[in-house]
Amino acid sequence: MRFASWVFGLLFAAALVVGCSSAPTPTPEPTPTPLTKLTVGLGYIPSVQFAQFYRAQQQGYYRDAGLDVTFQNEIDPNLITLVGQGAVDVGVADGTSVIPAVGQGVPIKYAATIYAQFPDIVIAAANGPIKSAADLKGHSLGIPGEYGSSWIMLQALLASAGLTANDVDIRDYPDFGQAVALQQGQVDSATAFRNNEPLQLAQQGFATTQLTIDQITPLPGPGLIVGTATLTTKRDALTAFVTATLRAMDEIVANPQLGLDDTIAQVPDLGSNRDSQLAVLQATIPMWSSPYTQLHGSGAIDQDAWTKSLDFMRGLPGSNIPSSLAVDQLVTEELLP
Amino acid sequence: MSFAVPEHGISAVLGPNGSGKSTLLRLISGLLEPDSGRITIEDQPVGTADQRVGLVFQEPRLLPWRTALDNVAFPLELAGVGAAERRERARSLLELVGVSGFADARPHQLSGGMRQRVAIARALARDPQILLLDEPFSALDALTRERFNAELLDLWQRTGTTILLVTHSLAEAVFIADEVVVLSKSPGRVVARVPVPLGRPRTQQMLESQAFARTASVLRAHLAGTPAELAAEEARAAPVRDVLETAGAPAFFDPFRGAS
Amino acid sequence: MSSTRHAWRSTLLSVGSAAVVFVVAWKLIVVIANYPPFILPAPEVVAQRFVSAWADGTIAPHALATIQEIVIGFVVGAGLAVVVGYLLARSPLAERLLSPYLVAAQATPILALAPLLVLWLGTGLAPKVVICALIVFFPVAVSTMVGIRSVDRRLLELGRSMRATRWQVFRFLELPAAMPQILGGMRVGATLAVIGAIVGEWAGADKGLGVLINLARGSLFDFPLMYATLLTIALIAIVLYLLVVLAERVLVGSWR
Repeated sequence: MRFASWVFGLLFAAALVVGCSSAPTPTPEPTPTPLTKLTVGLGYIPSVQFAQFYRAQQQGYYRDAGLDVTFQNEIDPNLITLVGQGAVDVGVADGTSVIPAVGQGVPIKYAATIYAQFPDIVIAAANGPIKSAADLKGHSLGIPGEYGSSWIMLQALLASAGLTANDVDIRDYPDFGQAVALQQGQVDSATAFRNNEPLQLAQQGFATTQLTIDQITPLPGPGLIVGTATLTTKRDALTAFVTATLRAMDEIVANPQLGLDDTIAQVPDLGSNRDSQLAVLQATIPMWSSPYTQLHGSGAIDQDAWTKSLDFMRGLPGSNIPSSLAVDQLVTEELLP
Repeated sequence: MSFAVPEHGISAVLGPNGSGKSTLLRLISGLLEPDSGRITIEDQPVGTADQRVGLVFQEPRLLPWRTALDNVAFPLELAGVGAAERRERARSLLELVGVSGFADARPHQLSGGMRQRVAIARALARDPQILLLDEPFSALDALTRERFNAELLDLWQRTGTTILLVTHSLAEAVFIADEVVVLSKSPGRVVARVPVPLGRPRTQQMLESQAFARTASVLRAHLAGTPAELAAEEARAAPVRDVLETAGAPAFFDPFRGAS
Repeated sequence: MSSTRHAWRSTLLSVGSAAVVFVVAWKLIVVIANYPPFILPAPEVVAQRFVSAWADGTIAPHALATIQEIVIGFVVGAGLAVVVGYLLARSPLAERLLSPYLVAAQATPILALAPLLVLWLGTGLAPKVVICALIVFFPVAVSTMVGIRSVDRRLLELGRSMRATRWQVFRFLELPAAMPQILGGMRVGATLAVIGAIVGEWAGADKGLGVLINLARGSLFDFPLMYATLLTIALIAIVLYLLVVLAERVLVGSWR
């Protein structure tokens, strides 16, 4: 019996080592290669919100820069570990996820701002009593769950009015139906994405008041993350990638229709309702810029904002962010043009 | 089929396979209803699962998850008798059949013979007027079987319960019973009712006696369906037999009862 | 040494050595493949986090919530299953009528049903109990049906010869005879119930070990905590399984 379990253990170990020996190890970039392969992780489903990437792909900006780009769809937690491991070269992830991840030793850095305004907001009926963060006290609020960027945003919003989550009646909507609940009057307020639910509700004749966080606590929105190892080995390719992407982004800002066309060319399924996709894109575009990026260029990272956000998140109840964590461990501007 | 079993007596039912011996027992115990005819005990017709009848099956059929004591107490438990009372009764029954030291043993810890004793004790639990045994010792080895035959007689002497024993063993039938009912093969009919001319108490010696052998051959003939031939053979053997009887039977040493 | 103690000792020995081999293999993999802690932490790191997470009360409230879901769900599911299993065993009509529904319910993946249940029943205890009960139901019902059906006919005849009532037959003959099978089904059910609870939590909950896994993975990026939570879940499943084994020992003993 003992012998059998010893043999089993060895076999198990052997199988795991063999199966995992495909763990990627960084190899130096050979010179000069026809096209450098890059895997890019974009959110958990394809969306017109990633129009700049689709445009750069469709218009050949990546190819011209010597890059062979393939897209993957992953949820945030997976993407962060994949990028940290080097299995995905660059991904779009929440800034608010980067902070705890780096704090726990995941070797990534935030290399370019995509969403210069924080997408998560709180909405309430426009003709209702809630007009500011302070008004939330004693009211009900729908949220998918007490986790993620919307939860962090909510705590920041409430803190600005001297409130905590205990002052609000929080209701969980794990199926993400909190906006519908708001419309039906089940809750007084709800978390939402600036370019999503308020649009849909407005289309149905339900106007909303929107409470944003940017002026209160400048939380970092989604941006490009890269593994620290990949930063070293594929630096030039990544720089080219960022440049091409930002170029496409600027072009779309100037002419949203370009973004729509290239998105549908890349993801034909999204072509089934051009009008609503265009509306989403048009609501998304303003979030790509802020006073800071207008001053310092697309993709620029506001280190001051990051410092404030880091301090805020460190102070949240249940936070495991080490006090020694500094902003220069979180972000890098070396890839920016 | 028609016969009577005298009260406090022992009758054996002897027959080949397929003669319906087991069915007969189920009819008498009330597990089956006859299509025609009557079965009565003391002139009262037998009801469904009549509790005047104690039934011992061919296999012990003990509940494997219960101790010997609780197995014997089982029929009393079903009848609503209280725990203390039924345990006490079960204990005395176990003593009666000679397994009182194994009251807390589970069936799987007991030998085949002991299990069958427990089954007999259980069948006596509700003090039945008649004890039916369906080839109860057929699963035991020959030596044990002989011993159990003797013990059954012993039990009968102590309790006085009417006993009806189904068997396919000639020797067993003759040794135990007052009368042997012989059945034919399918469809079973009563072919003969042969009285056993042996005195009581029965001894092992009697197994060797002429009367035993004669009764056995009568039964054998009925089973084979040749009673007439037997009568002829009897007539031929009579003078020789008489000589032997007057000369006296040989000395006999019975390992169970000592020198004769 | 009595045979029971001997059996326990040899079980402990084989389980212990299997555990040791597992931990050693784990460590070897981490070292050989040079995995960073956010992919696969070393066993001692997880062990340390396990201890600290229990000590500072991180895991305890979530574990309590999940255990509650499992126990209630198991009791409800297994209880119903024994009743239904008995009906199926005794009535061929019931079996013909109910079997298609049972099989369909079993074939539908719990993962797909869970969000629907949360939609209908909210994010409280109810949907998790339902999911656990559903997942436990089939194996226990089937094993009950098989167990009741395989009761020795000769014992049933014995019961008839003693004029046992329907209830007495069930209580004194069928149930004890079928107990090994029923408990066998419950062994399977106990481990499945753990899965059910976690899946139910993933569909929507604010506490529980499934929630903690998600928090550790996606909010805190505390991977040792994630593994410590997995370890906790495994331990709960093992304890439940052993409880059923213990029940079997007590209720059935060894009458084979």
